[in-house]
Amino acid sequence: MFDSMERSLTVAGSIEEALAAKHRGAAVLAGGTWLMRDPRRGVNLPDVLVSLHALPALFTVEIEKDQVVIGASVTHAGLARQLAGLNGFDAVVAAANGAANPAIRRVATVGGNLCTFDFAAADLLPVFLAMNAVVELRSIGERQVLPIAEFLANRRVFLRDSILTSVILRRDVIASAHARLPLRRAGDYPVAIVSAVRGHDGRVRIAVGSVEDVARRWISLEAVLAIEPASVSADPERMRALAAQCVDFRGRDGIEADGWYRCQVLPTLVRRAIASLSAKESVQ
Amino acid sequence: MTVTLRINGSACRFHGDPMTPLVDVLRRERFLTGTKAVCREGFCGACTVEVDGEAVMSCLRPIGLLDGATVKSIEALAPGDTALHPLQAAFEAADVVQCGMCFPGMVMSLAPFLRENPDAGRNEIKAAMVGNICRCTGYERIVDAVMNFLDSQKMEQANG
Ligand SMILES: Cc1cc2nc3c(=O)[nH]c(=O)nc-3n(C[C@H](O)[C@H](O)[C@H](O)COP(=O)(O)OP(=O)(O)OC[C@H]3O[C@@H](n4cnc5c(N)ncnc54)[C@H](O)[C@@H]3O)c2cc1C
Ligand code: FES
Ligand code: FES
Repeated sequence: MFDSMERSLTVAGSIEEALAAKHRGAAVLAGGTWLMRDPRRGVNLPDVLVSLHALPALFTVEIEKDQVVIGASVTHAGLARQLAGLNGFDAVVAAANGAANPAIRRVATVGGNLCTFDFAAADLLPVFLAMNAVVELRSIGERQVLPIAEFLANRRVFLRDSILTSVILRRDVIASAHARLPLRRAGDYPVAIVSAVRGHDGRVRIAVGSVEDVARRWISLEAVLAIEPASVSADPERMRALAAQCVDFRGRDGIEADGWYRCQVLPTLVRRAIASLSAKESVQ
Repeated sequence: MTVTLRINGSACRFHGDPMTPLVDVLRRERFLTGTKAVCREGFCGACTVEVDGEAVMSCLRPIGLLDGATVKSIEALAPGDTALHPLQAAFEAADVVQCGMCFPGMVMSLAPFLRENPDAGRNEIKAAMVGNICRCTGYERIVDAVMNFLDSQKMEQANG
């Protein structure tokens, strides 16, 4: 178990100190819920690490008039607590509250969820994609803000020199919903995830997680919706039927489910997400 | 790396690999073997302890993040020959403990939850137990015992 007694952990006192350590090759340690399982996956833990847990600026959720800024070290539990009841943000709360189990949610961070590139079942990714989130990355002497889809397309490269510091969500959504299918309730990874968001322009944006290796927007379904009357995107059954015609995913085979099954359940998850979206809209 | 923390009220110093899981420090260095290491993956909950008042999986807490932390393990609930914690007593009274592997974690998850949610209903209790797997009992009887515990706490309060 003690594969390296020489292992070093720098507790960064500033983001600059964290970036300098990262630049020298340290792995970022956030909540550790992913990294601590490296030995179980047959991977040695990094020898050199830098932790972000003493940087208070990364623990804040700022709810501003036009946007919400979520620090990378905010935990899933903290995110759900702080955004509970915020108009349009139900999907974010549901994703943060539905992932893993309560003890993991108290520790696992937003940054860790977004930066674990070999984890396909991350709940926050489809929600943030559907919300059109942007992420803030810091590297030495540079601050970069980019759409989450761009970040996900090239995570490995971006994270070579950068630390993810925050996620920014615009408050231009009317309602949002998050539907996930775990095999059991006991905190296992979801087989498939669908997040749906209705923007102020009336359009519905849909993103899918856990089906392919990386979450992505369901562009073909969104394109079909764009030429249908608006009433269609509020009708869960018609949305299910449309989704069934648009399944263009290559499901990954995994321990919880085969790829075909992940694709098969998507139309039903779309129906559930749209039903929940419509219910929220009618309440508003 | 040197880490100083409080474990069950005592000041402790750890020196070694900062990625050592808290569960190993508890069991191997402090001989607090009530905390179980079963899956070591965050799935079973048998290793649950309180860190700074919150229930967390000690198999996934690197000791290097715990400098200055306050840790409470199952042993602190009823030290030495003192009476069992009322929740432990409720489990015993309802005869829900079988092999017992899951119960330290079950108690350490539920105790802080019930402290903060004394009016919790069955569904909330089940949601709070999602990360605690029991292979022996089936969960309904555990939930019954928790409900009994909450009822008796309320009766005690009502009787002053
Ligand atoms: C039992 C269990 C069940 C789970 N179920 C779910 C689930 O249903 N849904 C779900 O979404 N997730 C689930 N997870 C995964 C969990 O969400 C991740 O483990 C967690 O989000 C990782 O966050 P962390 O803070 O612990 O990251 P760490 O383990 O500290 O780090 C993970 C990776 O991200 C990197 N990293 C972390 N923060 C940053 C940053 N700010 N900038 C750059 N790189 C960074 C690290 O270097 C490392 O490579 C589950 C985990 C467990 C243990
Ligand atoms: S041993 Fe920690 S959750 Fe199973
Ligand atoms: S009593 Fe045996 S695992 Fe719960």
